[in-house]
Amino acid sequence: MLDVWVLGADMTRIGRRDDSLQDLMAEAAHGALRAAGLEAPDALVVAAMNPEEFVGDGNFASNVGAYLGLAGTPAIRVETATSSGAAAFYAGFAQVAAGLRRTVLVVGGEKMTHLDTPRVSELIGRSIDPYERSYGATMPALAALVTRVLMARHGVGPREIAQVAVKNHANALDNPYAHFQRAVTVEEVLESRMVADPLRLLHCCPISDGAAAVVLTAERAAVRVAGIGQGSDTLALRHRDDLTGFAATRAAARAAFAMAGFGPERVEVAEVHDAFAPFELISLEDLGLVPPGKAGHATLDGETARDGRLPVNPSGGLKARGHPLAATGLAQIAECVWQLTGRAGRRQVDARVALAHSIGGLATNNWVTILEVERSQALP
Amino acid sequence: MIETIAASRCPRCGAVVAPPERFCPRHPVEMAPIALPGAGEIVSFTTLHSPPAGFRSPLHIALVELEGGARFVCHGAETRGLRIGSRVAIEAVDDVYYFSHLGAMDRARLFWRRAGRAGDRAQAIVRSLTKRVWKGTQRGSS
Repeated sequence: MLDVWVLGADMTRIGRRDDSLQDLMAEAAHGALRAAGLEAPDALVVAAMNPEEFVGDGNFASNVGAYLGLAGTPAIRVETATSSGAAAFYAGFAQVAAGLRRTVLVVGGEKMTHLDTPRVSELIGRSIDPYERSYGATMPALAALVTRVLMARHGVGPREIAQVAVKNHANALDNPYAHFQRAVTVEEVLESRMVADPLRLLHCCPISDGAAAVVLTAERAAVRVAGIGQGSDTLALRHRDDLTGFAATRAAARAAFAMAGFGPERVEVAEVHDAFAPFELISLEDLGLVPPGKAGHATLDGETARDGRLPVNPSGGLKARGHPLAATGLAQIAECVWQLTGRAGRRQVDARVALAHSIGGLATNNWVTILEVERSQALP
Repeated sequence: MIETIAASRCPRCGAVVAPPERFCPRHPVEMAPIALPGAGEIVSFTTLHSPPAGFRSPLHIALVELEGGARFVCHGAETRGLRIGSRVAIEAVDDVYYFSHLGAMDRARLFWRRAGRAGDRAQAIVRSLTKRVWKGTQRGSS
């Protein structure tokens, strides 16, 4: 297997955008190509969770390829629900690692805010098991079932969960790409509207538009893909015995660290899938970044703040940067690349190893990607 | 009166799922149909304040571990006083499953929560009441 490097990365500002999905994809893709100093890649991988219903377009790899001005470039589309961006990154990685392509452009995006919230919830909800959906289960409903168990069995308190949202909103204040540039307090989180008891509005990520892109290459560059892993689990939440953790994350982390040849102790910054605030606590433990049962305290103690031992979601995470579905896995990776190469502006942390963690569906198809900067390229 | 809930069992790993599935979620083998008693323990529950189209707010959803192993998703009339570990009975009302012991009035109320055509609702209520009276007769004669 060849070493694979990230040659360039870019993303759009995330939020309510008037641009078409294709224009968002182009903004991110052309930005990543510019950053890579490349006019055209050998191949294109496109991530979009549901462009057929969000924007009414199909055959989406060719659709985006032609729009970008890459009609002659071989293109495929990859979809694993809300982790599609991370899965597309893997598809690009695999092509380069196998020696099939020298350079691959990976671009993911979603356009959702032009639809009303019930319609968006319904479309996202199609990633849920049909029987559970027939009982009115939505993503927040299933996340609430998980959260109640986490609170009862793991002793995680409301303030610890709220602090995840407070921290990530604070981080996003310094991220010009973020959906929200607004600080929130623990009290605001705890008093926000109840969505699915015990989850409140400010525990949940917003509905966002946006796109992100990276260029992968077999040529040596600043950032190397050290490890990448996938994990999967049952579609139905009721088919799982343990709701205090996600088996799909644990499997993905095991595979990614095995490929990297080192463990979680070397990770110095992480972008974690906090679609719901308690998921950040669950995931930190699943990833081995925090000992079991300690994520709540670590968060309250500031260990995961930007100036803490392990900065988690310096971008603001899904909670505050926003969650344009198939863009998210790639936006996390773009943030990691920027953090590793000293291009994260006012939210810069000091890190040589970064981890990105993406959850597909209700943790049915999860990804862990580990990036490492070459020592000579690291910040002084 | 305990309902019987259709389920299936994996001949390879013994996993039981409800409702029945054709294949085991963890093994590519056909499952065997079995029946479970409609009673168990609350694993988790939530109240949805913005339910999807077709459901009335607030929508109570519970995850129940049935006696016999399978976990089951169902509705409820309310979650007040409910705890993880609470013992509940599962009852089918017109093919929709609800936890807790329900009186006739509870059954009638539940129908109004689940959106549908008025005619369907009235019919379903009559069916449910008939069923209850019939069950009562059965209980009385045994």
